[in-house]
Amino acid sequence: MRTSHSVRQRPSVNMAGVGFRRWAQALCRGNGSGISALVSGCRAASGVSKGSLPGPYPTTPEEKAAAAKKYNMTVEDYEPYPNKGEGYGDYPNLPERSQHERDPWYQWDHPDLRRNWGEPIHWDFDMYIRNRVDTSPSPVSWSSMCKQLFGFIGFMLFMFYLGEKFPSYQPVAAKQYPYNDLYLEKGGDPEKEPEEVKHYEI
Amino acid sequence: MADYQEAPLATRPKTLDPNEYFSVSLEQRRSEQSRAALRANLKRQYQMQLNNPLRRELIEDPALTRWVYARTHTYPHFNATSKTSLLGAMFGVAPLFILYYVFKTDRV
Repeated sequence: MRTSHSVRQRPSVNMAGVGFRRWAQALCRGNGSGISALVSGCRAASGVSKGSLPGPYPTTPEEKAAAAKKYNMTVEDYEPYPNKGEGYGDYPNLPERSQHERDPWYQWDHPDLRRNWGEPIHWDFDMYIRNRVDTSPSPVSWSSMCKQLFGFIGFMLFMFYLGEKFPSYQPVAAKQYPYNDLYLEKGGDPEKEPEEVKHYEI
Repeated sequence: MADYQEAPLATRPKTLDPNEYFSVSLEQRRSEQSRAALRANLKRQYQMQLNNPLRRELIEDPALTRWVYARTHTYPHFNATSKTSLLGAMFGVAPLFILYYVFKTDRV
């Protein structure tokens, strides 16, 4: 049932001005000092809650269980990084597998990233995407690959070194110039007789 | 593929793991079940949000939020051990002095 005609029309109010006035009143009345006086004592309920964000390294089994629940992992799967002060906190130490290794035929929520929504993300996820580092098994063993590559490079370096040490080329002699070794062109005196330069022997 | 060997930087795929097929104990089945239950719950949450006709906003991924937060807020969990100090000195302090020296002495 519409009751619009019985509602009294209020004068329009600038809500920003009202908010500012209230804030100034709270500031005068408040008992904080410095920055804490300017910031409101309560915060909004929207956005992530503090308990769902990563925290410090878990020490007790209860903390471990709570962290596993937070990251949507089972308690036996959840394993934090060792507490060596490297800044990981309680973030889980997931296996170092690239996204290349994941099943290409499964219906992932995000097919290009081969990941489902809410799945815990590896610390180096941006390294392991399908454009970057690939940890899939290689057709030839790692040692064989290393031997082939470094063997070839080493061999080429060695041969170039030998070539520098023992050069081999067609026999050459110094270049012979006409006109008495270009006497006039090299700035010799036109009055004086140049000495005869013979480049041949008969 | 019976003689497949793992490499240091490559892993054995799950389908080539013989433990997947032989001697699967009850414990393992139970843990697989709990993992599948977690995954199914997440799938359900995502699908409910995805197919909600009244949804206007982006679907926010809390795992992504946590990942970004963890990567940016490493300082509260930082401790100055020998290893971290060495790394900091090697990558932060030494290049400063080395590059200063190189730029100042080696002028073209």
